[in-house]
Amino acid sequence: MRKMGFALSLFREYLANYIKTKLTYRADFWVEVFSDLMFSAMNLIFIFVVFTHTPALGDWTEAEVVFVYGYFMIPYGIFSTFMNLWNFSDRYITKGEMDRILTRPAGSLTQVMLENVDPPSLLGSLVGLGIMAAAWAKLGLPLHWYDPLVLIVMVLGSVLIYMGLYTALAAISFYSDAPTGIAPLMYNIQNYGRYPIQIYNKGIRFLLTWLLPFAFVGVYPASFFLDRHHDRVMAWLTPVMGVIFFALGLYVWNRGVKRYRGAGS
Amino acid sequence: MASAYLDFIRIRFLMMLAYRVNYYSGIVIYAINIGAYYFMWKAIYGSAETLGGFTVAQMTTYIAVSWMARAFYFNNLDREISNEIRDGSVAVQMTRPISYLMVKMMQGFGEGLFRLLLFMAPGMIVAILIFPVSLPTDPLRWAMFFVMIWFSFLINSQLNILTGLFAFFVENNEGLMRLKRVLIDLLSGVILPMTFFPGWARAILDWLPFQAITYLPGSVFTGRLSGGDAWNALLVQFVWFAALIVPIWLMWRAARKRLFVQGG
Amino acid sequence: MLAIDVHQLRKQFKVQKNREGLKGALLDLFKREHTEVTAVKDISFQIPQGEICGYIGENGAGKSTTIKMLTGILVPTSGRLLVNGYVPYKEREQFVRGIGVVFGQRSQLWWDIGVIESFRLLRKVYRVDEADFKRRLDELVETLQLGDLLNRPVRKLSLGQRMRCELVAALLHQPSILFLDEPTIGLDIVVKTEIREFLKKLNREHGTTILLTTHDLQDIEALCSRVIMLDDGRIIYDGGLEELKERWGKGREVQFQFTDPIPLAAVSALTSGLDVRWTKENEVTAKVWIPRELNVSDVLSRVVGSSAEISDIKIFETNTDEIVREIYRTGSPEAKEAVRG
Repeated sequence: MRKMGFALSLFREYLANYIKTKLTYRADFWVEVFSDLMFSAMNLIFIFVVFTHTPALGDWTEAEVVFVYGYFMIPYGIFSTFMNLWNFSDRYITKGEMDRILTRPAGSLTQVMLENVDPPSLLGSLVGLGIMAAAWAKLGLPLHWYDPLVLIVMVLGSVLIYMGLYTALAAISFYSDAPTGIAPLMYNIQNYGRYPIQIYNKGIRFLLTWLLPFAFVGVYPASFFLDRHHDRVMAWLTPVMGVIFFALGLYVWNRGVKRYRGAGS
Repeated sequence: MASAYLDFIRIRFLMMLAYRVNYYSGIVIYAINIGAYYFMWKAIYGSAETLGGFTVAQMTTYIAVSWMARAFYFNNLDREISNEIRDGSVAVQMTRPISYLMVKMMQGFGEGLFRLLLFMAPGMIVAILIFPVSLPTDPLRWAMFFVMIWFSFLINSQLNILTGLFAFFVENNEGLMRLKRVLIDLLSGVILPMTFFPGWARAILDWLPFQAITYLPGSVFTGRLSGGDAWNALLVQFVWFAALIVPIWLMWRAARKRLFVQGG
Repeated sequence: MLAIDVHQLRKQFKVQKNREGLKGALLDLFKREHTEVTAVKDISFQIPQGEICGYIGENGAGKSTTIKMLTGILVPTSGRLLVNGYVPYKEREQFVRGIGVVFGQRSQLWWDIGVIESFRLLRKVYRVDEADFKRRLDELVETLQLGDLLNRPVRKLSLGQRMRCELVAALLHQPSILFLDEPTIGLDIVVKTEIREFLKKLNREHGTTILLTTHDLQDIEALCSRVIMLDDGRIIYDGGLEELKERWGKGREVQFQFTDPIPLAAVSALTSGLDVRWTKENEVTAKVWIPRELNVSDVLSRVVGSSAEISDIKIFETNTDEIVREIYRTGSPEAKEAVRG
């Protein structure tokens, strides 16, 4: 707990530095925000275009699929804010910046996360919340007193799954010599968890549920709120899977750090 | 001179071979991508016979072939270029007696060739075994397809180079690169064939270079476009390739000027 | 108490072999071959607190690998290692709070924002309290004359300015041991001298133990009371700098310039009975080589005391550069000694 408090106080400092950096490059900041939003818009466009040709995906209606997408954007935005690790392999392993990280008295993963913190991504979470609310209204779903609380728990679970997975993926760079790491390859796979899991065959369903559990960052937790697709068991598995995968990610990371060789000789 | 460029292809090809983890995970992930989209499209079709002018069988083939084409034309030249600009090594490369952009292009080609032979070929065989993919029997169509994905590679690389060169002018082009990536995946036809877009959107997309990257070669391969239409598609690709040289040339010239004046 | 205690320390890396050509590369895809490379081969040494120790060796001798193990970056393959009372890689976060590290080739500072912002952040990371931080920063800023640089972004600093800021960054938390990896690389003479003076002062006033690797033997001569020399992962010399010179230096040379031409036989006669060697440079100039065992003053007094009139005297010390080069060339000082003995 004390560690958490320390990390949070560091977060404030790093955030301050982030803001100071960004203020020097204001134009880029807006390009980044804009492109982040475009990125989300693109995925929505796919959904809208597809539904001009079909009334339902599996037995999911357009509003339901949009609802899931809105949900997905919330944990994804939080995740992107704290785990902007796309160039981890190149910057920290190949160029050896991990050396510096390891000579400082704070958790190595904490430092790497904080050095790359990207607050504009949080905007995506807000947009997602808006989309979810709009779809909620359109579907005429009832709003229970506990729904906001459940949403927070689900989102936390989803964020933990994402973080755990990508921590493990980034940590692969400690073991392999891959120049880009394999995280970019996952780029498409994370999208599939947003669509009704029932449309896939067994193999892919198993993969998205247990191996690369992206379905827990989309369709499963969102189904808690959807009357027609209510799936209590899978929904409540979200926080559980979150804790498991996050622990797994940390384990792989810590083992990887021990294997770190440093750049050069 | 030319042999120097060929060497860049060879070296990149060998470099790709050196990274095993990327290779194996790449094969698995491409298989998953094709599988996921296959099932998604099956769900989208539901009981419909044809959607957007594609039959289910054509759609399956289209998905498989467009992912395979993507394996060939896809590269990270944008990221490479902007990294090299930011760490200053581009200035060093400019002192060499060969064209920097050509070198990048060749490296991209080496990467593409690697994926074509070691990714696409085994991947296609697997896809044919699992999914109802029907391959064309007409050798001319095969030939045309290969010519067309060569142009896909050229056009996609040109767009990557353009995005990468932006690093000369803005401090951070990360957002731009992400945006470009999304645009190409959505608008080139990998995840959504052009015919699915509403009429007004198609009218715009017809005037953009993205469809030349995936949709046109995919359509020729599946037989949606044939005869004169196919040749027309090839012409469109060629025109885009030629047209994109202009902005690259302008940007490169401005970039060099900037480099010489400001010292990077 | 020992600041650094190293016993039989070893580090091995697994390096993959890349087979040649296309066929080799294809084979590598399915079955990869590895070779073990031992970068550091069972070395032992102790450094007491308050010492400045130079760690030298050619490229690839294992200097950086050792430093990285000592600072907790790399995990050793075998051997015992105790720095500041900690096993570096085990209690890393606790341990690094007591050390400062400067890698000459790599910056610890934020590129785009004022240097002071980086310092503030480091204050947080190292949990230094505000009053201590202020006092320490003022002191460092004054000795390193950084006053007006503090608000400049790092990318606008010259290499020398940046290096001084790096030192501040590494010292804000009052570490008792400072590790420097090539601290003066690429700097001009003036800055180099400034940094050496600063390090000496730091050692004198705060008792900071300093371990530095360098290629510049001037650093060693200016700073170190002790040198550890590494070759191919092994320690080939560990001891005082004076001793190194004494044992492997080739003696000294004194050059005399006389007012009148003087024959070689005449000057040789002056030092008869002493084991020295005279050579003639030109009509009026002669050089004498004096072995280590002999006192220079003995020779000087004889020549000066003679009737020959002298217009100039120069004494040449064999410099460390030459000694070290010689040792590298022959592989080890022991081998060299054998040749001499």
